[in-house]
Amino acid sequence: MLRSDQILATVEMIQKENLDVRTVTMGINLLDCRSPSVNKTCTNIKARIADKAGRFVETCNLVSRTLGIPVVNKRISITPISFVGAGFDRDGFIELAASLDMAADSVGVDILGGFSAQVEKGMTRTDREYIHSLPEALSVSDKVCASINIGSSQKGINMDALAMLGDTIKDIADKTRDQGGFGAAKFVVFCNQPGDNPFMAGAIHGLEEADTVLNVGVSGPGVIARALERLISSRSKLRLDDIAEEIKQTTFRVTRCGELVGRQVSNILGVSFGVVDLSLAPTPTVGDSVGEILHILGVDAIGAPGSTAIVAMLNDAVKKGGIFASKTVGGLSGAFIPVMEDAVLAAAVGNGDLCLEKLEAMTCVCSVGIDMVAIPGSVDGDTIAAIIADEMAVGMINNKTTAVRIIPVPGKEVGDSVSFGGLFGSSPIMPVRNVGKSSRFIRWGGRMPAPVHSFKN
Amino acid sequence: MSRQMIISVMSQDRTGIVADITGAIYELGGDLADLNQSTLCGYLTMILFATFDDHVTPDMLIARVARIDSPTRLDIVAREVFGPPTATSDKLPKRTYIMTAQGVNRKGIVYGISSFCFEHDINIMDLATTTSKNTYTMVLQLDLTAVPSITEVRRKLLKYAEEHHLQVVLQHHDLFKVTNEIPF
Repeated sequence: MLRSDQILATVEMIQKENLDVRTVTMGINLLDCRSPSVNKTCTNIKARIADKAGRFVETCNLVSRTLGIPVVNKRISITPISFVGAGFDRDGFIELAASLDMAADSVGVDILGGFSAQVEKGMTRTDREYIHSLPEALSVSDKVCASINIGSSQKGINMDALAMLGDTIKDIADKTRDQGGFGAAKFVVFCNQPGDNPFMAGAIHGLEEADTVLNVGVSGPGVIARALERLISSRSKLRLDDIAEEIKQTTFRVTRCGELVGRQVSNILGVSFGVVDLSLAPTPTVGDSVGEILHILGVDAIGAPGSTAIVAMLNDAVKKGGIFASKTVGGLSGAFIPVMEDAVLAAAVGNGDLCLEKLEAMTCVCSVGIDMVAIPGSVDGDTIAAIIADEMAVGMINNKTTAVRIIPVPGKEVGDSVSFGGLFGSSPIMPVRNVGKSSRFIRWGGRMPAPVHSFKN
Repeated sequence: MSRQMIISVMSQDRTGIVADITGAIYELGGDLADLNQSTLCGYLTMILFATFDDHVTPDMLIARVARIDSPTRLDIVAREVFGPPTATSDKLPKRTYIMTAQGVNRKGIVYGISSFCFEHDINIMDLATTTSKNTYTMVLQLDLTAVPSITEVRRKLLKYAEEHHLQVVLQHHDLFKVTNEIPF
């Protein structure tokens, strides 16, 4: 038998430290569901999702019960909808969104991602119709998440798409004004979007994928935080490399749990296993925070000098531990810093410790980007587009995924707060400086050329 | 013809016990097939399986061990066994679970949990206990092959734990294996 201390450490991780499998996400190819009419396409999509994911949720629950580890979310990602709905107009895409919502509901999943487009080099007429559909599509659906890839290290940044998105995000928020602009929390703009990310709102089933694939997202900032607290209290003369090692080893254990669950679910369903995304994704639950890890590692305020360096070390240690633990790693894999979903980060916004500029700096070394940030509803579309442009440039130049999920909360200003409840969390409104001063840049349109891939200094 | 024996030895722990016992078996021409030992609170216990020539009896082995010049008392039981030995499989049953039970140290905790297992057709394959700061911890490796519903037994277990002021967790063995072992 295994040693008792090993067993008790694992029990602690699961029972007391919020270890769970954050999401099992089934990727489903919908390309061949396209039919001449929108109506028939919707019917085909609903039939495909019911066929592939009919037993998905019950199987996840069965594996969760059998092993004794919680699987928090069961989700679906689909082929980016702009490819499935090629040739459809705005109204057609809104109908597709409503059908996807029904399909998600009928199989009992929490969220469905992939109401998406990939326009990093140029936009088709369909892509423009898709973008125009977003405000309505995200207000008529509850479970549908949307994303758009507007940049890549190989192709550069599509500045025409970018210019449309600032106002689109404002329209999305405005359409869901009675929910505090919640629609914008279901829409992410990406550079270098991965096709196998199981986390929302940016999950898609990439064109490079097989018909059906199962991806798993593990989490566990709480587990890392408790492991570090134990290490710090039990040893003197601790140095940063010891701490990095502890994060690595803890991530190894967390990732192995995710891999076990994912492979068992995929075996039962007869679906091929894709990847484990080994990300530290916080939740608003106290003790399940990435911000808390920054505190433990030595900054008394989130956003204080040193915060970026800590996120860099954390992100790297998480990758190292996880990569060794899993046969196939993919998705985003690293540390997330979604402000609203992390109680400690949100509090840092409230007391003025964390500003947008420092958050952007931290995203240069984290695994995603400016995520779940609530800003004043009065900020203009061009300023939002310019915030996105900065973040896309970070991703493009550094060959990494970056994303922006920003919520201009209608009718709210700095000093107010917004709450979406559940995993989406709450936050004070973050100030945006230099509003209205980037319009000339955004109006150029065109493309930001791809960077040189040598001479790396 | 040969004679198979299962042998159990208990002694206060010291260096040389394994050498003394296996030396006695060797002198009697025995072929040692398997041995398992463990120590607890300064005492050692071991169980051995050996094959001897037909003329060697369990009493002869006990008498031979009694002649060992040992600074500790060696308690030995030897019994002849018939038929082929049951092979010890390294492969665990598919429904191998780990149960941990923790509570304030008091009498009857092990008895209570083991009775619960017996009443629910749960076979205890391995068991270890520790006490730290008046908290008693049991770790059990269990075979739940005969249990019709894991969900139901877990529900009853949680009820039992609540009634007896214990924290009990039941999880599949695979979970512990993957988090603590690197596969080869």
